[in-house]
Formats: sequence, structure tokens, C-alpha cells
Amino acid sequence: MSTAIQQRAHATWVILLSFFIAYLLAIVPFPNWAMNFRPEWVPLVLMYWVMALPYRVGIGYAWVAGLVLDILEGSAMGLNAMGMVIIAYVTLSLHQRLRMFSLVQQSALVFALVGLNLLLTHWLQIVTGQTVASNLYFLLAALVSAMIWPSLFQLLRHIRRSFDVH
Amino acid sequence: MRWPDIDKTLFIKGVALEYRALAFLLLSVCIMFADHRFGYLQMVRYGLGYATTPVYWVADIPTRVSFWFDDVFVSRTDLLEENETLREQLLVAQRELQLLESLASENSRLLQLREATEVIPGEVMPAEIINVSPDPFSRRVLINRGAEDGVFLGQALLDANGLMGQVDEVLPYTSWVLLITDAQHVTPVEVNRNGERALARGSRVNSTELDLEFVTQTQDMKAGDLLVSSGMGQVYPKNYPVAEITSVFSDPGQDFATVRARPLAEMASTRHVMLVFASEQTVIPSLEEAGNGSTEHTGVIERTPIESAEEIVEPAPEADTQTEAADSQSQTVNDSIGATDL
Repeated sequence: MSTAIQQRAHATWVILLSFFIAYLLAIVPFPNWAMNFRPEWVPLVLMYWVMALPYRVGIGYAWVAGLVLDILEGSAMGLNAMGMVIIAYVTLSLHQRLRMFSLVQQSALVFALVGLNLLLTHWLQIVTGQTVASNLYFLLAALVSAMIWPSLFQLLRHIRRSFDVH
Repeated sequence: MRWPDIDKTLFIKGVALEYRALAFLLLSVCIMFADHRFGYLQMVRYGLGYATTPVYWVADIPTRVSFWFDDVFVSRTDLLEENETLREQLLVAQRELQLLESLASENSRLLQLREATEVIPGEVMPAEIINVSPDPFSRRVLINRGAEDGVFLGQALLDANGLMGQVDEVLPYTSWVLLITDAQHVTPVEVNRNGERALARGSRVNSTELDLEFVTQTQDMKAGDLLVSSGMGQVYPKNYPVAEITSVFSDPGQDFATVRARPLAEMASTRHVMLVFASEQTVIPSLEEAGNGSTEHTGVIERTPIESAEEIVEPAPEADTQTEAADSQSQTVNDSIGATDL
């Protein structure tokens, strides 16, 4: 039993550091024309950890991660937290199937989930009067996220194995 | 034992997943309501501002490094050239400043003759844009000044060319500024040529343009006109350049003309900006002071001089009420020194 507990507490800093880098990438200033092409780094990193370590990184993690993103982006608190909880929930309930998927199939799910998250947050922002509806180009971010998923997955898997996070 | 470990991954222990997800979703909704609708979490946001400042600082490193590279690896001839052009610009600016000073004193003498209010330009504090909102739907920037520097909500932000926006959220060491090109933001402006007033809203279609709302077909506006802030709404100081009209399209079938304008401030490229303190200060000169010159730079910080607008509207009240008003105003001015001189 004690060994199991020790294993659980192993290398949390790797997870936290990966989130920290995702936050940096999420807020690093972009030129105006490239705004819509920025991948949704934090949801991607969250999806990876939920998939790899579902017994450690769950809905609570997702909620806190979303709240931090809200504070960093200066948006209404709870907005991204809500989207992240949904992403974590779907990923958690599908994680065993997801591991069997090929990277391309995983990318398709990433596209769907990130796109759903973007639509939901955009819709909530419109309803609460924080923005006005314009076009759907913002969904390009979901496409870019799906495109970088395979390389991000392999990179994070390499990191997880070399630091023995489990 | 290495992953994958079947025992760990087959079932997730604890409360059922659905209930946990639902609970956190409800919590998110509650927080969103408390924060956005009622502003209960303002203190929390402010406190967390201490924690997030280092993150912005780190995220700003690439930009600063590139600026540093630009500074260090610059050839001598380029520097000399730049120096030359800057010197020329300074010469031109100084000449204009000489004219401006005589104009300003003449203007305030005329205002004193009319016993009207005197407008004194405020002081500015330099600031730097350190981040841009990652949300493609809002035009907000983060500046490196916050409550510790005396920044307040609604404070105007300028760059070298014109008005940029107003402070939207104040954090300890940083502040979010809503730009005038945001589709949620409306700037009260007037045409510099003839004083026609209008409202300039950030365009919903083009993120770098302004749309003038409710301009009637008969209003005198044409492409190339300079729009300056009108001071209406009492957020922005008066007479700062805002935008230049790029096109006017009037369709007789429509109620209003379609007028587009291009902001003068370089929203996308500038990094060095200014925060305006003492947007306007109203001073009613007494009869003794009327003789001794014009400039009265008291450096008083006052944000929204409601009195000034009223004074302009009613130009000639009785002498007694005038002095009373002057007393009460000096009172409010003194109050505001204590309030904002942090």
C-alpha cells in the first residue's frame, strides 16, 4: 500500500511545469492577424495529462487550470474553468478508448473538444455582453490545435517517461 | 511499477464522475455570476494580480530580448541617420511648441475675459504595453503600471499619435486597458474642423477601424477630417486626437450615413504609451488674478470635472454664485488631491 502512495506523489512538478509553459504560450503576445491561429495550449496539455494519468489529473485539476487561465486572460472568472471541466469530463470518460486510438483519431477528438470549448466560451461571452458576435474564424484555433496534437502528444509522452511521472 | 498499470486505470475511485463534473460546472456558473454580474470577486482578482505579475513578466521576455537585439546590433550609420532625423523632428516640434505656448496663453486670456473655465493639460506617466489579450474578440492590452503607481479605473491612455483607450481593470502592478477599437467601446468625438459631434465605436467587421454611429445625412463630415475627443462622457480629456475619417458614405434610403475612421494611435505596433493624470482642471479666475498672466499649472489631479461641462453650457451666471461655485470647486479640487495623490 505504501509503495502505491509513494508512486502517486511522484514528480508532480513535471505536470505543474508543463502547465506553466502552456500558460506562457497562451498569453505570449501575438500579432493581430495570427490571433486566430494560436493553439489552445492549456486544454491540450490538460487533455494529455487526463489521458495519461486519469487517477491523478481529473476534474478538480481542470477546474483550477481553467480558473488560472481566466485570471491570466482577464476574462470573467469561471468562463474557461467551465470549458476545461467539460473537456476533462469527456476525456476522462473516454480515456481508455482514447489510448487505443491512432494519433489522427485522437486529433479528431481534440478538434471536436477544443472547438466545443471555443464555441461555448464565445457564446457565454456574447450572452454576458463581454463581446459581440462576428464570424467563426476563431474556430481555426481548434484546427491548429488538432494539427499540433500528434507532436505535442509524443513530446509530452517522452517527458513523462523520462521523468517517470505516474 | 511502470505505467500502464491496470489497477490504477481501470476504475476511477471516489464520487461518480458525472456528479463531480456537474458540481464543478455549477461552481463555475456561480463564480461567473458572482464575478461578472455582481463584482464580488474584485478583491480576489486584485489579490491574485500579485501572483500573475511574474507570469506576464516572463511572457514578455521574448519581446524584450528582440528589442534588446535591435538596440545592440545596430550599425553606426543607422544610428547616425536616426539621430539626424530625430534632431530634425525635434526642431520642428520645438517650433510648433513655441507657437503653441503663445496660443495657449492667448486662449486662456480670452477665456479669462469671458470668465469661462480654463483648461489645463494634465501630466502624463510613461508606461509600456507588456501583453495583449489572447482573446481575438476583445481589444485589450496589459500595461506595466497598476494601483501602486496610482492608476485608476477609466484613466485615459495615449501614444505619441493619439488616444488609445481607457483603463478597464486595475491590478497591483499591471492594468488592463480597453482600446478604442474594441467593438464594446464608444469614444465621444468631434470633428476638429467644425465641432460636429459623433460617437466612434470600434468596428465589428474590421478590428483596426472605428465606425461613427448615428451620423445624420446632413452632418458636415468628409474623408480626411480629424476627430478629436470631445470630453463628453467625462472619461477622456478634451481635444486629444483620436482618428481620421477615411470614408463617408451616405445612402438617401438610410437614416444615418456610414462613416469610417482610422485611429491615429498605432495600436498594433506601439509599445511606449502614456497614462494621463489630471485630465482637465477647472479654474475660475478671480478678478485679482485676471491680470497676472495666464499659466496656472497647479498639477492637481482631477478625473471627471462635472462642473466644467455645466460651466460651458451656461456662460454667464451671476457674480455671487460664481464665487460660490469657485469656492466649492476649490474644495473638490483639494479633496481630489487627497484622494488620488497616492
